[in-house]
Amino acid sequence: MTSSRPFLFGTAGPWTVALATLATAPFTAAGFAQDPPRRIASLNLSADEVLSAILPPSRLVGVTRWADDPESSNVVGRVPSSARRFPKLDLEQLVDLRPDLVVVSEYTDADVQRLLEQSGVSVHRMQGLASMAGVRQAILDLGRAVHEEDAAAGVVRDYDAKLADVARRLEGAPRPRVLYWSGGMTAGAGTAIASLIECAGGVNVGGELGVAGIAPPGAERAFMSDPDVVLVTTWPDAAASVRAHPLLGALRAARENQVLAMPNKLLVALSQYSADACRDLASRLHPGRFGDPR
Amino acid sequence: MRLGWVFAVLVAAVLIAVTSAVAIGSVRLPMAGLVGWAPLEPAHQAILWNVRLPRVLLAAVVGGGLAVVGATLQAVFRNPLADAGLLGVSAGAALGAVLAVNAGWVSNVFLALPAAAFAGALLALLLVYALAHLAGRPTLHGLLLTGLAVSAVASAGLSMLLVATEEFRVKTVLFWLAGGLEGRSWPHLGVGSAFVLSGSVLLFLLARPLDLLSLGEDEAASLGLPVHAARLVFFGVAALVAGAATAVAGSVPFVGLMAPHALRAVVGPPARRLLPAAFLAGASLVVVADLGARSLSDRYDLPLGSVTAFVGAPYFLLAIRRSEERA
Repeated sequence: MTSSRPFLFGTAGPWTVALATLATAPFTAAGFAQDPPRRIASLNLSADEVLSAILPPSRLVGVTRWADDPESSNVVGRVPSSARRFPKLDLEQLVDLRPDLVVVSEYTDADVQRLLEQSGVSVHRMQGLASMAGVRQAILDLGRAVHEEDAAAGVVRDYDAKLADVARRLEGAPRPRVLYWSGGMTAGAGTAIASLIECAGGVNVGGELGVAGIAPPGAERAFMSDPDVVLVTTWPDAAASVRAHPLLGALRAARENQVLAMPNKLLVALSQYSADACRDLASRLHPGRFGDPR
Repeated sequence: MRLGWVFAVLVAAVLIAVTSAVAIGSVRLPMAGLVGWAPLEPAHQAILWNVRLPRVLLAAVVGGGLAVVGATLQAVFRNPLADAGLLGVSAGAALGAVLAVNAGWVSNVFLALPAAAFAGALLALLLVYALAHLAGRPTLHGLLLTGLAVSAVASAGLSMLLVATEEFRVKTVLFWLAGGLEGRSWPHLGVGSAFVLSGSVLLFLLARPLDLLSLGEDEAASLGLPVHAARLVFFGVAALVAGAATAVAGSVPFVGLMAPHALRAVVGPPARRLLPAAFLAGASLVVVADLGARSLSDRYDLPLGSVTAFVGAPYFLLAIRRSEERA
């Protein structure tokens, strides 16, 4: 996903065969392809959220500090307290945790992955999270990596059901044009935000503008796009800054009170909670279809 | 005798810094295991051999290399404020790094970031060389201004690429730009030290022509030195060393200014003394700075470049003030 979701990552990588052998020999005998990994650590919030749902608590030994951040996480209070919280990417602490599998993000440096593998730790990379279908597949892939295929399939069944319910409710509904706005940046085609907007029955204006990735389209182009809805996060001042903007404040959407502030933890969700995010946004864009007020 | 003591102190400082940095980390390793009296358990072996030791040694190599480059360029430019940034190397390396991040190579290709940064540094150097020679042999000022222009263009390209880079990937660039050694391992040390150490040795072997250049162009030429060719050799080797150091550690400012400046007053300006002394001082400085960067905060690794800047900037202000008082 291309939005403000926190990840731990960094840059990183045997000198001599002797040293590498010395360091890795104790670990590498247990390949996780044959044996279920018993000690699993996560270096990204998406994995924190999925692993919390599919793993017995005793097997989750490390998560990011974001897992306890109510602004960013959908699993606050549900990550076992026994799991070490990583406030930063600390390879020493991570190796000391003796995990047999570390789940990294799409954005984790290949050098960090190599260094972990050289230290005898298997690595699973979560990727393809820029679409609802990609998130679904990533959950199944992670379930396979930790040998919890059935639990992952259960999570995906629930995910599919929520998305199917949203799709059923939105049948035939008009599609409002939605401009995502975050500090001058919008989301172009192929981003997770674009996927979320489309899932919720909207049209992503960033895609119409030809924006690639998360990028600044410029306030003038944003103004001329005349969106029906401006989508922002609930972070302080996000909606107010749109209304106070000399140009964006004059948007029809701003004048008609169509600046929608969505909880950040849902807006940036890249896990099974993406389905909840889709439902949340859909209910705001199409309140009549969900029987609840905006 | 005095000089011998100075070098003994510098070597001891490096050994103490390296030993301390290997012994101290976010995971407490048993001292008996570190000194070989007892076996280390496998996880601690991995931490020591795969994570901590290569990082500490790389810090020493980077610091030493940057200090030697600073001493060399200060002699060539006859200016105590000269550093590798003047040759466009830092900006070129940064542009290469952000290009690798923007293209997604960093996530998928091992050593992509340092390789791209090194390529950017070399390309910047070649561009400075080619542009400066468009109108014949350039003067020192011509080279300097060309380097600044190339730096400006590279910085502008960096900004443009940053705008077009995914939010998550931008953070990788920012970490790199701020300088740091988290996640560096033996391959980084191997690649970095190959260029830094061989370049530093070459500069040391060229100590005499460097001393002649530091006298001024006319004086050097009158003593038979082919000034133009010598200058290009020093720039080329210095840029290779700085490019390799920057490629593996990002931006680590002030080391190239501070270490030679502090040591020049102690060992004197002759390059055969100043270069090795600056190397040792720079190595100690960056090892200690990196130890601070990784241990001062539990929540974040502080940027290595910020730590060296926080130490280096006040030092330089103090040095400038003393210099003005003497004048």
